[in-house]
Amino acid sequence: MILNYKNILKKGLGLISVFILVASIGSCEQFELPEAGSMADLTPPSANFSASLNGDYLTYKFDNLSTSATDYVWDYGDGNSSTDFNGANIYSDEGTFTVTLTASDKLGVSSTFSTNVTVVKPPKPVVLLPVILEAGFEDYNLPDGTGDGRDSWRTSLGEIMQITSSPVYEGSQAAKFPSDGTRIAYQELEVSVNADYVLTYYYTMKTSPAGSITVSVLGGALTNLANAASQTLASFKGTDQTAESTFVQVDLPFNSGNNTIVAIYARNESVECRLDSFSIREAD
Amino acid sequence: MKQIQIITLLVMGILISSCGEDYLDPSPVSNIGSNGFYKNEAEVEAAVINIYDGLQLAVQREWALTEMRSDNSKTRSSEGEWAQFENLDVKSTNSTVANYWAMFYNVIFRSNSVLENLDAAGPSATQFEGEAKFTRALSYFNLVRLFGDVPLIDKVITPTDTDYFDRDSTADVYALIVSDLQTAISNLDNSYKGRASKAAAQALLAKVYLTFGNNYGEAQSLCEDVMDSGFSLVGFHDVFYSERSSEIIFAVEYVNDIAADSQDFSLEFTQDGRVRGLNYATPELVQAFTDFGGSIRTQESIILDAVDSYRCGKFISNSTANQQNGNDWIVLRYADVLLMHVEAIMAGADVTTSSTAVASFKKVRDRAGLPTGSSITKEDLLNERRVELAFENHRLFDLIRFGVAESVLGTFATANGIVFTASDLLLPIPEREIGVSFGKLTQNPGY
Repeated sequence: MILNYKNILKKGLGLISVFILVASIGSCEQFELPEAGSMADLTPPSANFSASLNGDYLTYKFDNLSTSATDYVWDYGDGNSSTDFNGANIYSDEGTFTVTLTASDKLGVSSTFSTNVTVVKPPKPVVLLPVILEAGFEDYNLPDGTGDGRDSWRTSLGEIMQITSSPVYEGSQAAKFPSDGTRIAYQELEVSVNADYVLTYYYTMKTSPAGSITVSVLGGALTNLANAASQTLASFKGTDQTAESTFVQVDLPFNSGNNTIVAIYARNESVECRLDSFSIREAD
Repeated sequence: MKQIQIITLLVMGILISSCGEDYLDPSPVSNIGSNGFYKNEAEVEAAVINIYDGLQLAVQREWALTEMRSDNSKTRSSEGEWAQFENLDVKSTNSTVANYWAMFYNVIFRSNSVLENLDAAGPSATQFEGEAKFTRALSYFNLVRLFGDVPLIDKVITPTDTDYFDRDSTADVYALIVSDLQTAISNLDNSYKGRASKAAAQALLAKVYLTFGNNYGEAQSLCEDVMDSGFSLVGFHDVFYSERSSEIIFAVEYVNDIAADSQDFSLEFTQDGRVRGLNYATPELVQAFTDFGGSIRTQESIILDAVDSYRCGKFISNSTANQQNGNDWIVLRYADVLLMHVEAIMAGADVTTSSTAVASFKKVRDRAGLPTGSSITKEDLLNERRVELAFENHRLFDLIRFGVAESVLGTFATANGIVFTASDLLLPIPEREIGVSFGKLTQNPGY
């Protein structure tokens, strides 16, 4: 009996060891121990950067905003490249370049981000110099060869001023404002915003009765006469009555402010007045 | 017997009918719940005042998130969590940042509460709507500039409204800011300085447009509207010590020695503060005052505290209790608007010679006792803003808006042995908020 037991035990042990062996071989195939308990990378690299000028218009820098990455390759689109964290490049000429950042981690996962950089020489700020039409109130002076000397000065807000042939400052005609003060000269000009200009013109008036002629520069178009005062950027009230045929020069400086349109607006009071030879220039 | 039965029935009837809805649903008399409140104008106004109560808390540590992250200020001791700001190494666990986030979302919550109960406000509904939209816009403008994309919450939400927990694009946040400020401009007048006003909304919207960098014309018009609203520059000392003066457009008001309505940042700016001095001037700021400040502003803005150590000279308290300071916190003042006017006219260029810009610039320079040239460069304007508005939480935003934050802070960091990367320009989303967002809030790059 004892022998029998030993036999069974031996056989059993043998069987069990075979089982264990098989099981352990099988288990080796099923579970790679070093990987046990690992999980997928939930935060793969994500490439991103911002491009900005850093000096003159050819010099750019690229600020790295990537996440979960360790290695970076920059391609600046002009043949230059870098492996620094932040990128920087000086382009040799104008053009549009595609800048690409490849961000990768030590698992070999990578992400790329591209952006176009347009290298362009900044234009010099140019101040728009407006053209005053029929500035000397002469006939046939519009660009198409027509015009009665005052077509450019009309407004629906009031009656247009008259034309005189004497006295004039130059040419053969000037604007005339009769003493009742009802006439208006009005012209809109296209200007640069916040630019400084000087409007120059000449005026004269009869020696009596006492009166004046006011030339104003208004910000924006005038749609209601009542708003003229509040829209005034600059104005000059001429009261020189020493001689009725001697024209007086006025230089009226103004800043266009936040307006792309300004208007010249002229009216007189109590005395017959004349205006001639408007011109405009950029202030020094 | 029958009579007794009838009487019993009657009594029972009375008892049953007395059990009306009021009896089953009593409103608490000792605690006020939000669902039953807001029944009349006075109660909605209480909610409006409550917004400003929230702002009183929210702005008190803003200098740490702005000035101390710029080249303007630092801690005196360079220790602990506070030093993270000056080292441009703010952690997502920083409690000051987490509190700032929570307190401004509290202001937003309180603003939304007012906006949802305007029906009960009667004739004041327009005014209250303007005020709540101004404070909401101010909060989002601060959050979006400091954190980038943030959750956009435009109604009262409950803890289960998880749809509102993720980050919305900066563009969406700015769209709400602009529309809120436009409403505030049309709804408000200029009766208050400690509450929202039309001019405050105009000045803030001008700053929003300048931040966009493509609405310079509108920014200029808004500045000019404010400039036509009766504000003026006062003596530089009086800006900070003559409260609600004609220079102040919007300030968060405090009162000396009243625990619930006072601030403690005036104390923290001194050696007697909890961490022995915060928001101290950097050597770079002191140098800027020497170069560009002029004596009037310099002696008013920085005070020699020890050898080579200068503290903030603005907002000095005269309260009895040292932690209960009454100095108002200035959010918007006229000098800022004048310099924004110059910035709008400059319109992104490097220089302007426009006489209107020079005139506005000159007003600020005249007050400082300094001469003005005929042209203003971008650098002149940035330096002027730095010394005029030092310690008023403008510098970091100015550097970013002018597009020079990377280069200026990069140079500053190198000179001081600090590591600066572009991702430092946005703060980390507080870890505490990410933790309760059900995985919806994502962290900013670099953290």
